[in-house]
Amino acid sequence: MKSFIEEKVREIREIVGEGRAIIALSGGVDSSTAAMLAYKAIGERLHAVFVNTGLLRKGEPEFVVKTFRDLGLNLIAVNAEERFFKALRGVRDPEEKRKVIGRVFVEVFEEEAKKIGAEFLIQGTIAPDWIESRGGIKSHHNVGGLPERLNLRIIEPLRDLYKDEVRQLAKELGIPEKIYARMPFPGPGLAARIIGEVNPERVRIVREANAIVEEEIERAKLRPWQAFAVLLGIKTVGVQGDIRAYKETVAVRIVESTDGMTANAMNVPFEVLQRIAFRIVSEIPEVCRVLYDITNKPPATIEFE
Amino acid sequence: MIAIIENYGQYTHRIWRTLKEIGVKAEIIENTTPVGEIKRRQFAGIIFSGGPSLERVGNCLEILERYEEFGIPLLGICLGHQLIAKYFGGEVGRGKKAEYSLIEVEILKENDLFVGIPRILRVWASHMDEVKSMPKDFELLARSEFCEIEAIKHRKLPIYGIQFHPEVAHTEKGKEIYRNFVSLCKI
Repeated sequence: MKSFIEEKVREIREIVGEGRAIIALSGGVDSSTAAMLAYKAIGERLHAVFVNTGLLRKGEPEFVVKTFRDLGLNLIAVNAEERFFKALRGVRDPEEKRKVIGRVFVEVFEEEAKKIGAEFLIQGTIAPDWIESRGGIKSHHNVGGLPERLNLRIIEPLRDLYKDEVRQLAKELGIPEKIYARMPFPGPGLAARIIGEVNPERVRIVREANAIVEEEIERAKLRPWQAFAVLLGIKTVGVQGDIRAYKETVAVRIVESTDGMTANAMNVPFEVLQRIAFRIVSEIPEVCRVLYDITNKPPATIEFE
Repeated sequence: MIAIIENYGQYTHRIWRTLKEIGVKAEIIENTTPVGEIKRRQFAGIIFSGGPSLERVGNCLEILERYEEFGIPLLGICLGHQLIAKYFGGEVGRGKKAEYSLIEVEILKENDLFVGIPRILRVWASHMDEVKSMPKDFELLARSEFCEIEAIKHRKLPIYGIQFHPEVAHTEKGKEIYRNFVSLCKI
């Protein structure tokens, strides 16, 4: 890993020269690692742009901005929640959602990139990203189309790595454990965990449910690859306090994996699952049923969309 | 150097990584690359990756047609296994049941490819189609409950096919299987 860092730092320095580079920093393991690698290479000439899409986890925007400013990064934070929700209105198809989110993201990012006037774009693309997008399983969530329009040259230092290696690398780069040990989070954010239309109300439900799952997993000291909740968008009947309920259904998915390419549904202790179900239903009034997904990958993917 | 012929599979890059992890140099080659060009590179072995469709295997069939010019060990994974079987006269079609994720395979012949591998092996599979009848001049190396032909070997030539995926992290002893294949190649 030491030699990998040296090699990539040298490479980035050679390519960027005296120029400027930008990166879209999400706060996930991949973009954080790519950003710190580039920061090590070119310092202040790296401009990191963090976009709050309105589709992020609970407390995420504040956490990311603070963490990376503390690490010394030259960071611009953009709040674009309303733009994303406006563009997503009425969109239900999963691939269409990804495209809309990708497009708005590019627009927002492009505005910032123009102000900075960079010649290079650093991306935290890792192996499974381009494998799955080329295979047609999911369309790519990185900033497609932008490099051509702004005449940016792409640098992808993590292209051949898998998540486990990126984590090792992040650790060596001095990135805090809270970042490098965190679970993967999809590019389209919580939108990938909502079946059907994405709006602020539905995002709020799935955001709370996700926070509960993460909290309970940590409390139980389990170390899955990913643990999250999905709003299925189907209503089912419940009985709450002797009254008929007809409310949302949430699926919980907890999987083990070493690289994200294959994964198994985790054998989570039943008490933990029960506690998750209890908390989701009692803390989120719109939900009356919680299901646990027991499918492996393949045949299912880890995320639902 | 081993050539991994890319048939647009999910796990092509995993094959490359697995080989890297056991210290073997390999290169992923597009299946549209002219066979003459592949030949000029003088690879020590060839692996056909998996992929979505027999319609998209590019020049893999031409490699099999001109196999004598290569004469090096050849391993097909998943779709690669099926295309080898089909070329040598086996039948390929939709299986009775699809096999996804964890399955148990029974190793019938612990020959060169499965040396040191337990008789019952837990592996990961991901396929709907399968080899339904044995190709001519091949012997059966492994089977499972839902798929009778999980691994095959040519009786005279170093040509192998495996239906499951030894290159994914969930497959037990996957690296050993690749190590065994590599030890057949003159590297």
